[in-house]
Amino acid sequence: MKLTDLTRRTLMASTAALALSLGAVPATAQTPEDVLIVGQIAEPKALDPAAVTAVNDFRILMNVFDGLVRYKDGTLEVEPALATDWTINEEGTVYTFNLREGVTFHDGSPFNAEAVVFNFERMLNEDHPYHDTGPFPLAFFFSAVESVEALDDTTVEFTLNAPYAPFLSNLAYPTGLLVSPTSVETHGADVGRNPAGTGPFKFVEWRSNEAVVVEANPDHWEGAPGLEAVVFRPITDANTRTAEMLAGGIDLMVEVPPVALSEFQGDGFTVHEQAGPHVWFLILNAKEGPFADVRVRQAANYAVNKEAIVNDVLEGTAEVAAGPTPPAFAWAYNDELEPYPYDPDRARELLAEAGAEGAELTFYVTEGGSGMLDPVAMGTAIQADLEAVGFDVTIETYEWNTFLGEVNPGLEGKADMAEMAWMTNDPDTLPFLALRTEAWPDQGGFNSGYYSNPEVDELLEAARVETDQAERARLYREMQTIVQEDAPWVFVANWKQNAVTNDRVDGFSLQPSFFLLLDDVTKD
Amino acid sequence: MAGYILKRLVSAIPVLLGISIIVFLIMAMIPGDPATAILGSYATPENVEKLNRDLGLDKPLVQRYFIWLGNMLQGDFGRSFSLNRPVIDEVLERFNGTLILAGTSFVICSLLGVAAGVVSAARQYGLADKLITFVVLLGISIPSFFLGMMMILIFAVNLKWFPVSGMWPIYGARDFAALVSHLTLPALALATVATGVIARLSRSAMLEVLRQDFIRTARAKGVRERGVIWRHALRAAMVSIIPVLGIQAGFVLSGAVYIEIVFQWPGVGRMLVDAILTRDILLVQGGVVFVAACYVMFNIAVDVAQSLLDPRIKT
Repeated sequence: MKLTDLTRRTLMASTAALALSLGAVPATAQTPEDVLIVGQIAEPKALDPAAVTAVNDFRILMNVFDGLVRYKDGTLEVEPALATDWTINEEGTVYTFNLREGVTFHDGSPFNAEAVVFNFERMLNEDHPYHDTGPFPLAFFFSAVESVEALDDTTVEFTLNAPYAPFLSNLAYPTGLLVSPTSVETHGADVGRNPAGTGPFKFVEWRSNEAVVVEANPDHWEGAPGLEAVVFRPITDANTRTAEMLAGGIDLMVEVPPVALSEFQGDGFTVHEQAGPHVWFLILNAKEGPFADVRVRQAANYAVNKEAIVNDVLEGTAEVAAGPTPPAFAWAYNDELEPYPYDPDRARELLAEAGAEGAELTFYVTEGGSGMLDPVAMGTAIQADLEAVGFDVTIETYEWNTFLGEVNPGLEGKADMAEMAWMTNDPDTLPFLALRTEAWPDQGGFNSGYYSNPEVDELLEAARVETDQAERARLYREMQTIVQEDAPWVFVANWKQNAVTNDRVDGFSLQPSFFLLLDDVTKD
Repeated sequence: MAGYILKRLVSAIPVLLGISIIVFLIMAMIPGDPATAILGSYATPENVEKLNRDLGLDKPLVQRYFIWLGNMLQGDFGRSFSLNRPVIDEVLERFNGTLILAGTSFVICSLLGVAAGVVSAARQYGLADKLITFVVLLGISIPSFFLGMMMILIFAVNLKWFPVSGMWPIYGARDFAALVSHLTLPALALATVATGVIARLSRSAMLEVLRQDFIRTARAKGVRERGVIWRHALRAAMVSIIPVLGIQAGFVLSGAVYIEIVFQWPGVGRMLVDAILTRDILLVQGGVVFVAACYVMFNIAVDVAQSLLDPRIKT
């Protein structure tokens, strides 16, 4: 009996200890007023806009820094920010910006033309004393820039080596955000942990793997933001992020997994959705094998049930894509394009015409990756659709970085089709890098399916140097019609980014740019 | 004893060198390079080449290994390019988190596991034994990450007894009570499987010992049952239980990877997973070598403890 006594006593003692630890701690404290807690998907890499590439980091940066220009609220059109206005010479090679006066960086140093020059020289000029604070992976956004000069304190002039129409929207991208030169001089390579910009929020602290805290900048040129502070918490696991949102530990959650959306349908939460400049497609190998025949490529477009993929696999978090350009680029999008309808009979006819019934296909699928949504489930659904019309599809699955290493050098000799997704900031980027003849992999581009149409090449070259936006838009619309007909890809989906806020948050909306702008948000 | 410890320490050197070579080669051989991971969609061959040059990855493999090894021997683990800070700072900070989590779990599973095993053995085929066996098998069978999620759902989201994730509150005092409330769920989730394994093995070790002559002698000379079990039998059984604890410490350390992800615990396991996905070579290499070194040291400590308990082992 002594033994049972003892165990019972031990048991009681340990239970008591546990109860004590439960009772002693108020478990989940209510988050404070006017402080927004944001559930991010990962720890930021750095808070240096020139050095980072991930949307996750951009979400913080856009609130701490300003650029010369920015996207107008709710659009992907460029409007003034730290530049009040600008002129472009007739050839489209010289951009002259007038800068906003009386703006200071968070560290107290003045914002002026010299600061702008410093930022671009740092990124582009290998001899600049602070070029070693890089690397700057997206510096090639500005590779057309030949020189940046301060004409006077409030005027800065960019000279390009050739006309380059996407220049302004590249300036609106986070890579174009302006960092205080003093902060770079003071912190060197550690500036990414000690950021100073001119934005609506000032950096306060970065607790590694816990939180990045920013507070309101009362002196912002647009007036103080509605919140006192914002805390960005990295929560990598989507289920944990959902649980934190349900428990009230965070006020705003980005990238809600489709299956968790139903958790937030009731009162107390608002689900936000916004289509962005994203397109999810299948690269088809147009150089060899069955897809060398345009009829077989079209057949694949007819065979895939896109509606079922966006509604059932993605639970309505995406829309069916019609062509290579996402509708979010409203000004350059061709409204007249209709997606390929789901028509298995038409697909079978085309296959019969081309004599490609029973064609064997190797299909590269990735396990996950930036913008890839739910690639395994989507790949499996596509495989089933293609087999239903008479293809014989074998899937090969790769981890994301391995996948890129297989796909980017081109599909020749390896595969007939591969999944891919892009998010860009200008309608030029994706087709220019992935559909031109000169963008074949052996020439350093991403045209991994070897599509080639001289007409498309010409349109894209012309649109890139056209500074008149209406004319540029016309060229892109024409390009979309041709590309849709040629079907170098199977156009599948445009992702709608989503976020959830709780009922204490007001004034929040998602942007088509996928950036997170918090200056108009309030919380009670 | 000092000689034995020294001998074990010296024999750890080739082990660690081997680990450094293996992890270096694995990182060099897996497809996908850091530049591709950083550039993502924009990884043109030209951009990749330039970035790899900037990252110092364009040198020959052997040269890169010896540069890394040489720097590491001088305490310089290099700089993580994905986090833009020294590898050693990140590893030490994260290891601290893992140590708190895995250490607590290890204490919990050792105490509970051994106690459950001893009780089971003492009451072989009794009600307590059957009950413990049932619970233990259940614990061994549930994947820890699933258990963790269920615990979050029940105790954090619904009952609101504990916070969902993290190690410290975002607001409020960073005191011991706050740590305990954040630590309870992940530590229990992590301890579950190891508790079960330790309980099973302690039970059989105890049963073995309880059948031996000296136990009968002890009972015959009138030692109370409690003394027989806890003093005589357990002490003898510890010789075979301790190596099990050593192995379980390794499992707890590796199991922490899942738990750290589920509970967003700032530990070294989650760091390594992120680092592998971003191909942060120096962070992976530095992290693995550091963790391996700690594990080797821990095992030496276990062996020393075992030889202290059983002098026959000292060789």
